[in-house]
Amino acid sequence: MAHRKKNRNVGIIGVGQTKYSSHREDVNQPEMIHEAISAALKDAGITMKDIDCVVHGNMELFEMIHQPDLWHVLGTGAYGKDSIRITTGGTVGATIGCAADNLVASGMYDIVMAIGFEKLQEGHTTGGITNMADPLWFRNLQTGALTGSKAYDVIREFGEERAKKVSLMYRIIMDKHACLNPLAHRAFGLEFEQIDDLVRTSPKLVGDLKLIEMCSQSDGACAVIYAVEKKAKELARTPVWVRDHITVHREETFVMFGYDENYPVPMTHRFAAEQLYKRNGIKNPVEYFDVFEMYDPAAWWAVDWLRDFFQLKGDEHLKLVENREIMIGGKIPVNPSGGVIASNPIGATALVRIAEAALQVRGDAGRHQIPTPVNHALASGFGGTMWTVLTMLEKELNW
Amino acid sequence: MAEYWGVKVEDIFNTMPERFRPDGAKGVDASFGYEIKDEGRWRLSVKDGAMKIEKAADLEGCVSIMKADGETFVGVNTGKVDGVNAFTSGKVKVEGDFGAFGKTAKMFKKFVIGKKEMSTADYIKDMFGTLVSRFQPKNCPGLDASITYQIGGQGGGVWTAIIKDGKCSLKEGHVDKPTVKLEVNEAKDWVDVMLGKSDPFSLLSAGRAAIVGETALAMKLGEIFAKYQPPASLGGEPEQELLVLKKTISVKQRFATGPVMGKFLNALKEKKLIANKCPSCGRLQIPPREVCAECRVSADEWVEVGPRGQVRYMEYVYYASPDPLTGETRETPYGMVNILLDGCKGNDTFAHLIRRDQMDLIKNGTYGVSGTRVRPVWNDRRIGSVFDIKHFEIDE
Repeated sequence: MAHRKKNRNVGIIGVGQTKYSSHREDVNQPEMIHEAISAALKDAGITMKDIDCVVHGNMELFEMIHQPDLWHVLGTGAYGKDSIRITTGGTVGATIGCAADNLVASGMYDIVMAIGFEKLQEGHTTGGITNMADPLWFRNLQTGALTGSKAYDVIREFGEERAKKVSLMYRIIMDKHACLNPLAHRAFGLEFEQIDDLVRTSPKLVGDLKLIEMCSQSDGACAVIYAVEKKAKELARTPVWVRDHITVHREETFVMFGYDENYPVPMTHRFAAEQLYKRNGIKNPVEYFDVFEMYDPAAWWAVDWLRDFFQLKGDEHLKLVENREIMIGGKIPVNPSGGVIASNPIGATALVRIAEAALQVRGDAGRHQIPTPVNHALASGFGGTMWTVLTMLEKELNW
Repeated sequence: MAEYWGVKVEDIFNTMPERFRPDGAKGVDASFGYEIKDEGRWRLSVKDGAMKIEKAADLEGCVSIMKADGETFVGVNTGKVDGVNAFTSGKVKVEGDFGAFGKTAKMFKKFVIGKKEMSTADYIKDMFGTLVSRFQPKNCPGLDASITYQIGGQGGGVWTAIIKDGKCSLKEGHVDKPTVKLEVNEAKDWVDVMLGKSDPFSLLSAGRAAIVGETALAMKLGEIFAKYQPPASLGGEPEQELLVLKKTISVKQRFATGPVMGKFLNALKEKKLIANKCPSCGRLQIPPREVCAECRVSADEWVEVGPRGQVRYMEYVYYASPDPLTGETRETPYGMVNILLDGCKGNDTFAHLIRRDQMDLIKNGTYGVSGTRVRPVWNDRRIGSVFDIKHFEIDE
């Protein structure tokens, strides 16, 4: 893939998020979005007048609003401005981040605001995801984003007892992080002593995927403001530099269940990470990055994907979880925010990864701030079927 | 009894009769149990559109029993705690028939916590609004009297309670020669008395209130009317009702299949399964795709495969998702099988459903080992659609 250096450097100068919740009946969609916009503008110390272009995105038709950016002008402030709507499924939050970065880097605009939102309580999430499958065949067979196949894979490879424990261990680490994040939707206060009990008692959804291991369905919005280098340095106390991003798509496919060693299934996460590290000269991602905000829709996926994103071998990814190296204070903290398992307003979710990674680089994450310096951060987006977006953030402009 | 957000566990149960929605209980004839930690057990009996709630020593015969601690129970019922989260994390457990338990949600209006900060005017309005219902005829047999309340200050007004023949009525304003008249200078003082924050005698001695007429009757008001209960512990009106508008969009859709998918669908009518083959990598695609996306070439060679094959992986689905064809909830559990049809290899699997009563007999294939052999069960009427095949079944 041809990939060229940016025309201009781009920094994140403002981040705004709502509380994530399944109880936002107190506001309508534009009102909810406005909360995130106001917070981001305040964080950047600018006003809507300074924004040159608004990039708006969420899941196509999950709330059955055609062209929601029209209604949402009331909350986004896009009135009289350039505005672009993007929708790419689960990855959309990451994609609007890429678009904002590209729009500023290209020289088209100096300051661009990316807005991701979702009010999942106003539609039907599993119905929406089911309707993403092709209408001629797979729509009739699919069950939203729920699958037991990753649990099946990990159990096959590492044995039932270890696999089930490591999935719950991951889940509880995420909950411990979520308990430190006042914006998180679900923060239960789970304890590691509950692993055996939850393995036994949590209701099953599909195969060995249990209710406790699946992400929430949240309402919420997130806004991130991107600025050209000169303005970022003028406006922000600590601009966070967007070093690179990569997007890898696959065909819309379910043909990955042959379980024949001679026919490996190519994984977009591993492929995307490999390309990104190669072109940025990163040899050992676990050593290089100080934090990873991962789009983790379920504990089983998350555990397995650590191996792909960090280019690990054998059971190295399981050990990272088992030894709690992914906890705040560990070797490579994953999702100090609590991640997607804790909060999942889908259209905002992947942008929240970038926003939270930026807050960690700035040192402004509050109670879930990593105690050691964060210079290099990675954020991922995931969508169906098997799409990947990765974004790299840096504290210093020195690469 | 502990309070959570100003509400006791028993408040939730005690207000069930007034929150009951007979429409939501149509066709339900069952008992539901509630076991609240450190608080006790309650039995809800529903039959013929009517209900009864009672504290119970045991919950025998209940179709389902909900178990939770007091805080979670009050939280879920008042909207302070997310019910799905509480269930997901195991703070709410349901024993017995979960589907039946779900019906109880439709039977009751939401419990609304009253406004914490009520104004004096709100209290005065609520006090006189509830006066008649608080009348206790058994405490004042034969009483024939009129009692005027003359309340000054913000939120004040004049009301007269008329008691005769064991009944009480309230009218706004004065009457001729009331049996007794209470004059209170400031409405706020009267609210404090009624809420038990101050006593009437200190008001009288401070000259902020006066009794005109039969003082003895005024002293009995505490017996004639039951104690005023502020709405916080009983439900009541929220500041502004949060309206949610419900909509259903139903759209008829027509999707062109194109010649490639069309060829495959037409073959189903003839009970044939055909795949198209990539000329570059040789993989078979079923259902077919216009191109091989990996090799970026047209896949225009056709191969008949199956219809028998082996299961490589089955999704064992417990979650009741909507069927996109009908909008109805699918019956669970069901199995979605990925089948390697005879003639296919690698990941060239074909997805369909397995006969529901055979789900537990299915073994997935692994490297070098065949999965359970299956064959399609065809519909008599075939129109070129996914359900020309009813499902697959074990091929013995």
